[in-house]
Amino acid sequence: MEQQYKPKLLWLQSITCNGNTHSFLNHPELFSILSHFELVHHPVLESSFCMQELIDGILPCDILIIEGAFMEKGYLKSGVEVSSIIEHYADNAKHIISAGTCATFGGIFKQKDPEAISGFCFDEEEKTRRYAKYASKLISLPGCPIHPKWLSYVLLMIANDRKISLDALHRPVELYGYTVHTGCTRNEYFEWKIDAKNFGLKEGCLFYEQGCQGPYTRGSCNKILWNDMSSKTRIGTPCFGCTEPTFPQTELFHTKTNMGIPATMPLGIPRRAYLTLTGVVKSFKIKRFSERLMEYDR
Amino acid sequence: MKRMVIRQLIEKIEGEAELDYTFSEGRIEDVKINFGFYRGIEEILEGKDPKDALVITPRVCGICNHAHLIAAVRAIEDGYENAGVKIGLTQKAKNIREFTLACELLQNHIKWFYMTLLPNLEKYLKIVSEENHAMKATYFSTTITKALAIFSGQWPHSSYAIPGGVTCDPTQLDVMQAQSLLEECVRFFEQVVTACSLEKYLAIDSVSQLHKIEGDFGRLLHLLGSNGMAEMGQSYDRFIVFSDSFLSKAGKSIVTSVSKVDTRYVHESAQKGSVAKAVSYKNRLYETGPLARGMVSKEPIVKSLHKRYKDSLMTRVFARVHEVALLLEESRKLLKEIRVDEPSCTLEAELKLYEFEGTGTVEAARGSLIHKTTVNNGVIVKYDIITPTQWNLSHGNEKEKGIAVKAMVGSQSIEEADFIFRTFDVCSVCTAQ
Ligand code: SF4
Ligand code: SF4
Repeated sequence: MEQQYKPKLLWLQSITCNGNTHSFLNHPELFSILSHFELVHHPVLESSFCMQELIDGILPCDILIIEGAFMEKGYLKSGVEVSSIIEHYADNAKHIISAGTCATFGGIFKQKDPEAISGFCFDEEEKTRRYAKYASKLISLPGCPIHPKWLSYVLLMIANDRKISLDALHRPVELYGYTVHTGCTRNEYFEWKIDAKNFGLKEGCLFYEQGCQGPYTRGSCNKILWNDMSSKTRIGTPCFGCTEPTFPQTELFHTKTNMGIPATMPLGIPRRAYLTLTGVVKSFKIKRFSERLMEYDR
Repeated sequence: MKRMVIRQLIEKIEGEAELDYTFSEGRIEDVKINFGFYRGIEEILEGKDPKDALVITPRVCGICNHAHLIAAVRAIEDGYENAGVKIGLTQKAKNIREFTLACELLQNHIKWFYMTLLPNLEKYLKIVSEENHAMKATYFSTTITKALAIFSGQWPHSSYAIPGGVTCDPTQLDVMQAQSLLEECVRFFEQVVTACSLEKYLAIDSVSQLHKIEGDFGRLLHLLGSNGMAEMGQSYDRFIVFSDSFLSKAGKSIVTSVSKVDTRYVHESAQKGSVAKAVSYKNRLYETGPLARGMVSKEPIVKSLHKRYKDSLMTRVFARVHEVALLLEESRKLLKEIRVDEPSCTLEAELKLYEFEGTGTVEAARGSLIHKTTVNNGVIVKYDIITPTQWNLSHGNEKEKGIAVKAMVGSQSIEEADFIFRTFDVCSVCTAQ
């Protein structure tokens, strides 16, 4: 059914690698989703107004999508501070979506100049001075890059005039209520505390040695799969916690431990309980888990 | 002599660029290309674990992140080898890496063709089209990146290649799924891009047979040919390739002679008024990318076009779209050869070396990408990234104008120069890092 009024969508980039743009272009239903909106401006898709008009004028904007980290001063487009362009449209928008970890918390590019670079409303977990002004319309969608389906969920909820429940960091609870660990095909190995012996194996969990942050990273990568296909942990790459305010940490392919126990516990699990459980579980010797899942005859 | 400078903001490339065109007597005499913002990935890496580069460097670029991953892993592997640790990748790991890289090039070329080139050519020629080019582009790129994600977990920004191999351990089922997705892309190429079978397309080896190409590619070639554009946009006719791949061996091509290259002679220099550094090889500028690969490998159809049109926009555009066919065909072979029972990774996860220096090269969509890593006391002390666009899009030096600048000089309008600029598949994100 043809809608009467299409919300006007404006996609602006600050300090970014364009990864969120390209991630969203991979949405299989991209054009059916976009059909609910009028694309006022977008970095690569055809849109109603060009960049120069955007900088010069006051374009209409109901939903503002921000991609990239934020710097108060010194990042210019066509001689104008990008921060002022974005704030200008943020003032007028009804909804502000921070797309990706850079726009939300500062992300990787924050490390270049931690004092000057941050997310739009958050600087890691701290609120920036903009928070108070924009909090009422802010939706955070961290992820490096953003998951295309997480963005489409938010856009369609808005298009259908439905209220999106958010947590304290303004992340939609339906997307970030899970941890990445939920739905990982290696869960059985996690439960029985069996680590992957090396990279490149289907068997074993990556939490104990290889640096997987899945159990304490919020995101539905293993529920709503990437590219409709897979996830990092399913193909044996550790989760690097890219949705978290602390991203990126260091030694990402290695689990930090205290006396042989992972230094960071699964979300909400007390250390003592974890240790007790580990003790019990490790006393089992389960043959199935010490073998390859499948053998191919040569 | 009347001179004037006009500044223009170029968008809908990867990122944005600001171009200062200097006109003299109605023609473009010089162009200054200014890129936005320096993000400092190289500095961010200093002090980090060498393997962290596998996670951080893909964030240089949203569209060629995978090439950065492969360059980064090769730099570490080269460093390990230099430090005396033998790296023996299995054929399986090699094929998987080559295949995923091919997927990334494929999505790039098709997006460029449908989202940058066709719409801008139509705009330039004032053709009104009802086609949704972007829909074709995203259909193809979504499909091929699904195949990529089967092995890499996701695209963009995966880090599945690690020293000694890959983290994935695919089943036959996975390989078959990738094959089906690839065939879907072959079908798209045959029905929509060229309107002829891949086999028939690949048999075309001379300009006289170009009429066999129909579809959107045929239409593009026809538009360029019939509007007097085929000879526009020539540059220095010098080409360079740094990485061996099935597309081309490493080498440089000047006039008709191809000779060896060595990354030691690559020199980076800061440019006034731009955050992007310029690169040269033994003090000379070279074009890199699909046309360079076609010239260095002496791909018959590219050579035939070059003979007729030199390094014009026609030859340049053709070489990029042509790679789609080569990549599709090679990908079929790569997948077919994968033996799932071979090991995925031959090095131990905890292997850690404290001192090494390594260089990794890869042929990315826009040309040769070079990563150099220096590790002391177990952490990165220096990391250098030289991107393909730095070759093509620099201003040049005192002696010579940059490659793309040279191609634009002589144009009679900004629109003309703008289109020539876009035939280089411009990425400001990579250029400025
Ligand atoms: S690999 Fe990571 S996400 Fe998967 S089960 Fe282990 S800890 Fe959880
Ligand atoms: S699995 Fe972890 S690192 Fe990967 S995309 Fe999800 S949250 Fe980010």
